[in-house]
Amino acid sequence: MTVEPTKSETYVGFGILVVLAAIAVGVFLKQSHYNPAIFVGGGITSIQSEAGLSRDFLVQVAEGMVPLSPPEIFGPENLSDKIDGKAELYLSAGFLNLLCQRFAEKEDPRSWMEAFVYDMGTVRRAFAVYSVQRRADAANVDLTGFAYGTENALFFVHGRYYVELIAAVTTERVAEAMRSFGHSFITKTQVSDERIDELSLFPREGLAEHSIRLLISDAFGFDRFDNVFTANYTLEDTELTAFLSQREDSSEASELLAAYHTFLIANGGADVKWDRGIPGTKLVNIFDTFEVIFSHGKFLGGVHGAEDRGKAEKLAVTLRQKLSGAGS
Amino acid sequence: MLRAAKAGVSIAAACSVSYWIYDSTAPRLSQKEGEPMTLPDFSIPGLGPKMSIVVGPDRVRTVNRALKAIGGIESFVKRGDRILLKVNAAFATPPMLSATTNPQLLAEVVRLCLKAGASSVVVTDNPINDPTSCFALTGIAEAAASAGARVLMPDERFFRPTTVSGGTLIREWPLLHGPFKGTNKLIGIAPVKDHHRSGASMSMKNWYGLLGGRRNLLHQDIHNTIKELAMMVTPTLVILDGTTTMMTNGPTGGSLGDLKGTNTMIVSTDQVAADAFGATLLGKPLSQLTYISKAASLGLGTADYGSLKPVRESAG
Repeated sequence: MTVEPTKSETYVGFGILVVLAAIAVGVFLKQSHYNPAIFVGGGITSIQSEAGLSRDFLVQVAEGMVPLSPPEIFGPENLSDKIDGKAELYLSAGFLNLLCQRFAEKEDPRSWMEAFVYDMGTVRRAFAVYSVQRRADAANVDLTGFAYGTENALFFVHGRYYVELIAAVTTERVAEAMRSFGHSFITKTQVSDERIDELSLFPREGLAEHSIRLLISDAFGFDRFDNVFTANYTLEDTELTAFLSQREDSSEASELLAAYHTFLIANGGADVKWDRGIPGTKLVNIFDTFEVIFSHGKFLGGVHGAEDRGKAEKLAVTLRQKLSGAGS
Repeated sequence: MLRAAKAGVSIAAACSVSYWIYDSTAPRLSQKEGEPMTLPDFSIPGLGPKMSIVVGPDRVRTVNRALKAIGGIESFVKRGDRILLKVNAAFATPPMLSATTNPQLLAEVVRLCLKAGASSVVVTDNPINDPTSCFALTGIAEAAASAGARVLMPDERFFRPTTVSGGTLIREWPLLHGPFKGTNKLIGIAPVKDHHRSGASMSMKNWYGLLGGRRNLLHQDIHNTIKELAMMVTPTLVILDGTTTMMTNGPTGGSLGDLKGTNTMIVSTDQVAADAFGATLLGKPLSQLTYISKAASLGLGTADYGSLKPVRESAG
């Protein structure tokens, strides 16, 4: 039995088809006019980050500095328009947006600085991009828990924000302007009080100051190794790298241990007898270095790429004891 | 049945329209820009591969010495030549950060070209950031103008689609073609830099600035992209500035702490060899910069720069 549509059904159907056709024509016309050669994300003057970051950088600017360029904002889709190949570093860490602007001294436009405020969403992600870029000539700066300065720049984490202040000159006036900007930003930008617990789980003895890094992905070349903290140690003139990664639960930690062990063996590693206790620990000799891996509760830990087996074992045991002592 | 047939016809019609308007090609310019084009070979016939490596902190002295070591600028620039200098003006950063072509070096190369009889020298790049800011804040615009060159910044009219013959990535891609008009010699001038994605940014990566469009998409296969850039461009000469090398946090850097004084100027007709040597300044093995061996395997140059017996001198 067939049921004939009513007139109103026919009109509605026809209307829908007309709308679809109009959309198709619109898409077609838009595509025809799209020119990728010149298409770039435009700067905007009204800026609102997800967390309500100040729209007006001017409130952060030190006395005597004036805007040299309008504020710009970049999202994941066009971050590379600003920082090219380095965008991947931020994108893989969960980047949300970048707010930036240049300022110059009123009296001397050649004396300028640029402020970059990366909204990474969480303090952990902000720490990740901060820590892996820490410069060799970094000098401690009393600004936040994670802050350092170099001859021409200031870098710090404030809550979910990673901030870079980069000067075109190395004068004291611009250095002071950067410090002033930093203090002002911290004072005027509210952030939640998040902590990164792993930082206190590394043993202090022999730990190189400010060496802890957070590798968001592909740590040690293993594509399943994400959110791995590393820390550098010097034990009796030998340099070592310890690592720690908090997983969802103990079963995931154990499973990842097994997967990383398999990865090492598949890439030329060979098991070495481990006789320092800690059941389940793996010791692997690979490319003339030693890799120790253990799990403890929901943590995966160990020592990476050590040239000295004995010291690698010692550091791994110390790290394991620290985790136990912390009740982790 | 009738309604089902009508629905079927409607779906078929929609599919037909979709197929009709579907653009299966890579990003391209609007159709009015004309036919796809490719760049000519700018190398000097019969000259063969030449390379010099000069050590010293003063770019003006080292580039002069390096050019002289392989026959002088006159071997490459003849009277009446129209020269295009492809600089790296990617970022609106100050010269001291060494993220872009050094303005003092650029000015000297412009001066040398004009002294050799070039009828015109044009400086160009399609920066990552706003072109006006990039050329101004890097000091490149001022250096070029003061030395007698003309700066051509990217303009919509300057782009035409190009396809690299034998390539798979750069196909119908917008190419900064306008500045090449009338040009018969091409010289690339780039700094040696670390690069987060490709490991290094040197002579071959410098041609990335000749592309337009959503070129960040090419970062997904960066090593093959750089190889195709070397396929796309055969320069007269490349000048690789390793006076100050950006060792870390490239390609933008940002801190003087990212830099190292490596005091080396490389001039070569072989861009692959120049980059292979540049890798040594970065302390990176060629296995990390696979685009170099990929380019070499296609005969675009040699990764064994020593085989060119580069002239090594000091201008300390």
